[in-house]
Amino acid sequence: MKAIYILFPVLVLLAAACREQPDEKQLINKEASLPEDFNFSKLGLKVLSSSVNEKQNTMSTIYGNDLALNTAKAGTPVQAGEVLAMITWKQKKDEHWFGAKIPGNLQTVEMIRTSPDAQKSAKVDYQRYEGKKLTLKQDTTGNDKNIRYIFEQHPSVMP
Amino acid sequence: MSAVSQTPLKKIIISLVFVVLGCLLILQFINRPVIENPPVTGDLQAPQEVKAILKRACYDCHSNESNIRWYDKIAPAYWKVAEDVKKGREGLNFSVWSAMAKPEQAAKLWEAVNQIQAGAMPIKSYQIVHPGTKVSATDLLILRNYLSGTVTSKLADTSKTNALDIQYDKWAKGAEAPKTNLPVALNGIEFIPDYKNWQVVTTSDRFDNNSLRVVFGNDIAIKAIKKNHINPWPNGAIFAKVAWDRLKDANGNVKTGAFKQVEYMIKNDKKYASTAGWGFARFKTPKMLPYGKTRLFATECVNCHRPMKNNDFVFTMPVKH
Ligand code: HEC
Ligand code: HEC
Repeated sequence: MKAIYILFPVLVLLAAACREQPDEKQLINKEASLPEDFNFSKLGLKVLSSSVNEKQNTMSTIYGNDLALNTAKAGTPVQAGEVLAMITWKQKKDEHWFGAKIPGNLQTVEMIRTSPDAQKSAKVDYQRYEGKKLTLKQDTTGNDKNIRYIFEQHPSVMP
Repeated sequence: MSAVSQTPLKKIIISLVFVVLGCLLILQFINRPVIENPPVTGDLQAPQEVKAILKRACYDCHSNESNIRWYDKIAPAYWKVAEDVKKGREGLNFSVWSAMAKPEQAAKLWEAVNQIQAGAMPIKSYQIVHPGTKVSATDLLILRNYLSGTVTSKLADTSKTNALDIQYDKWAKGAEAPKTNLPVALNGIEFIPDYKNWQVVTTSDRFDNNSLRVVFGNDIAIKAIKKNHINPWPNGAIFAKVAWDRLKDANGNVKTGAFKQVEYMIKNDKKYASTAGWGFARFKTPKMLPYGKTRLFATECVNCHRPMKNNDFVFTMPVKH
């Protein structure tokens, strides 16, 4: 008989024993993660919507507090007390699934906070943080366009 | 070594060999499973070079054209072969391909190529005994290129935008998923309405099936991510993955369309030991209709997630927020 039949069970056992367990830190998507000291999760925002820009090869998620979600859903004018955030990543291939793209390098975090205003329905405060370290951008050109874009997005349907 | 000590040892070895051979011989007649080849009713249709690879590497276990070699027929190895063919055909059978709807066919093919890419298929022990069935890097490229060629990133059509408009209108007016009398999947898992209030684990853009997805995690999952304790995930961790249509406009801007489904994975290594330690459930459309025809529907989930077995069956690489 072929020696392979004696070897076979041994090889199977060996193969089973040799499964390597990847290091847990390697399973985190590091290049897409926000710096811990940015404390984004402490804001407790919910997901409003998710989108992709094929030309830029980026993907974005918009987050908001309950008030922001409710006004966006109702389509009513901006109110004081809304908090919104938009995070944008370069897309990368999902190494675990051929057929998917997932967040790659972190590009920007845009923050909007609204507060009471005497003239308008609310005063809008906008900040744009850029790059892996999320450094605050001082130049304000384009801010109005960016603010409008974020407010215009319909929330994704989540019954 | 002296002749005196060699003789009894030799005798022992010879009799042992005979005992083993005798046992093997008896094994051939007990519990002998039958592998039949039922008729091929609707074989896979694919370009010649694609089909040739699958036929060579997969058809022994995933078709009704299993070629069982004489050396496969020797028990106990034969028992494993028979079991593999039975289970293999249950999950994927290229001989009854045309019985599946087109989107199902596409999904199975993407799954098949992903199982190869992850090194999960063909089964390792089978590859060792049948070296000719290995899928080379070039073969894999041929398969991947074929699949890439089948997806066309189309602009959103009116049927999809209409589907969204109808859903959105109802939802914006306050229509919600059931909060009492929760829908229940056949394995007993209830729909969890709170998923939308959880934190994000990742997002995903699926060009294989034209959908956008967000994976949410409950507090236990998010805490585990913070502490890098994610292999294995702690009991009580829950993922919820939401899928929407992928709506693209002429400028290449892609938005979420109609809500398609939410899927859960609930970690409990004891309660869900039979399904890899996770409770699987899927609820479709805003009505949250439970998916699955039998209680065993989760086998399908586990089988596709199996290439991730070294990562506790989880695909997602969490993004820390
Ligand atoms: C030696 C038999 C054998 C061969 C050869 C084999 N498979 Fe499998 N396959 C199985 C078994 C058994 C399962 C069920 C899951 C398990 O036990 O691992 C399976 C499961 C699968 C599944 C999951 C099906 C589901 O339930 O959704 C896919 C996809 C798959 N195989 C693809 C392939 C491809 C592609 C090839 C060829 C490159 C291949 N297999 C070759 C035995 C085999
Ligand atoms: C054809 C393969 C396939 C099948 C079948 C499948 N999944 Fe998944 N699943 C994936 C992939 C790929 C991901 C990674 C996220 C993404 O890109 O969609 C995933 C991710 C998930 C996640 C998020 C956690 C993780 O592992 O990343 C959940 C929850 C989930 N699936 C539930 C289910 C349930 C429930 C079923 C069965 C009803 C199921 N899946 C069947 C391929 C599959």
